[in-house]
Amino acid sequence: RQRWRADGRALRKLPVHVGLVVTEEEPSYADMASLVVWCMAVGISYVSVYDHNGIFKRNNSRLMDEILKQQQELIGLDCSKYTVEFANQDKTGQVLNCQSTLKVLSPEDGKADIVKAAQNFCQLVAQQQRTHTDLDVNVLDNLLSSTNGFPDPDLVLKFGPVDSTLGFLPWHIRLTEIISLPSHLNISYEEFFSALHHYAACEQRWGK
Amino acid sequence: MSWIKEGELTIIERFCANIIKAGPMPKHVAFIMDGNRRYAQKCHVERQQGHSEGFEKLAQTLRWCLNLGIQEVTVYAFSIENFKRSREEVDGLMDLARQKFSRLLEEQENLKKHGVCIRVLGDLPLLPMDIQELIAQAVLATRNYNKCFLNVCFAYTSRHEISNAVREMAWGVEQGLLEPSDVSESLLDKCLYTNNSPDPDLLIRTSGEVRLSDFLLWQTSHSCLVFQSVLWPEYSFWNLCEAILRFQMNYSALQKARDSYMEERRRQQLERDQDYVTRKLQQEGCASHGDSRRRRTLLQKCTAMREQRIQGFLQALEHKRADFFERLCTVSA
Repeated sequence: RQRWRADGRALRKLPVHVGLVVTEEEPSYADMASLVVWCMAVGISYVSVYDHNGIFKRNNSRLMDEILKQQQELIGLDCSKYTVEFANQDKTGQVLNCQSTLKVLSPEDGKADIVKAAQNFCQLVAQQQRTHTDLDVNVLDNLLSSTNGFPDPDLVLKFGPVDSTLGFLPWHIRLTEIISLPSHLNISYEEFFSALHHYAACEQRWGK
Repeated sequence: MSWIKEGELTIIERFCANIIKAGPMPKHVAFIMDGNRRYAQKCHVERQQGHSEGFEKLAQTLRWCLNLGIQEVTVYAFSIENFKRSREEVDGLMDLARQKFSRLLEEQENLKKHGVCIRVLGDLPLLPMDIQELIAQAVLATRNYNKCFLNVCFAYTSRHEISNAVREMAWGVEQGLLEPSDVSESLLDKCLYTNNSPDPDLLIRTSGEVRLSDFLLWQTSHSCLVFQSVLWPEYSFWNLCEAILRFQMNYSALQKARDSYMEERRRQQLERDQDYVTRKLQQEGCASHGDSRRRRTLLQKCTAMREQRIQGFLQALEHKRADFFERLCTVSA
């Protein structure tokens, strides 16, 4: 555990929320599990996993099993439990021993979530509980539910040959650094860490 | 013409253009023209000159796009976040805008000849009044031209645009033009500032930054994203070709992803409509799995009524927007 945390601390800055976006058609549960476990080990507080076909989301228990297995194998962490949140569903995991939280996302957490928030707001307007001028950027931001409790991603690691986010959280990625890696298959810790290094070096001016 | 550089491609450029055009070509390209200030620093000139050369590069890039048959271009000229810059720089950028929009209005004949439709997208009331008036004149003067389209995002962020679209739909509900259940992805699409344009096929950001900076977040969810390290004022025809080649390499994967996304969207809308019809039938006391003809009729009816409401709402929205520009023009007249 010491080594991974030290790696994280050695970076000039560590992302708070990393999105792991797979653009390859056949996702690998084992490799994604490694990536998730490395993120947690290095000290990244929020991790989201995404593929545009929603495969990980549909098979989340398989992913969870793989993650548990890798956690024990690679790190031998005594925190064998962590909170798992599935966007828009009620399944929450057990006791939070680890400082990291994971979400498994799909396209329905992107535009569809914005539309849902819009419908809810319009419903309130129809019931005359709100007027249209009540809605601004902050109000809409608070109405979104797909990433409840998660800050916006600072970093997206995008795996695969497709040069697109393929619908990953369009609202939330307004300032997200997007670093591309050729593939998540057989990904090594070195490749992963080098991407984090790349992120630590980027300068953000925030429009100024 | 000042906004579109005159001139044709060189022989070598034309040769490459013909090769590239053998493959699929983007119809709509978006640019984040980043790097003016770093360029100025590199060349030891004032920032203002960096921005000025950036504009020249825009004019040249538009010419290349036209030569390549790319009919629509959207550029990120000024973000709402950029108001945070120093007073001096913001004033400088506003002056540049005044200069360029005034120039544009002096070149009406050329705009007509090239058939350029200019649109300015953003939270325009945030801008100085005189600039709003210039913009309104440019937009109204060119609104019926349709040979090529230039969309300038000015006082813009994507989140403001999306919030504005939701606010407009809420306004539609308030006016009794829409039902909350009419709110959908496709309706939201039609309420964005970009509602008259197809989604960009290709988004290019220069200067090496790898983020979207609140630009067209909704519209580029399935676009080809190309990040190039060249600074904007140094952008070349070859950089553009390189970006188009990447677009071509991504073409089938993105088509496939887009198609399956739209298919899923259609399926979910149909499911929602079927649920609605089921509830209606239950209210009427019919068995929900009964009379399939009644079900089909009801489905058609509810879809048709929704279409009608939406058309009425979109017309009202169009009028509201046209009104805004027309009022600005009468002010300055």
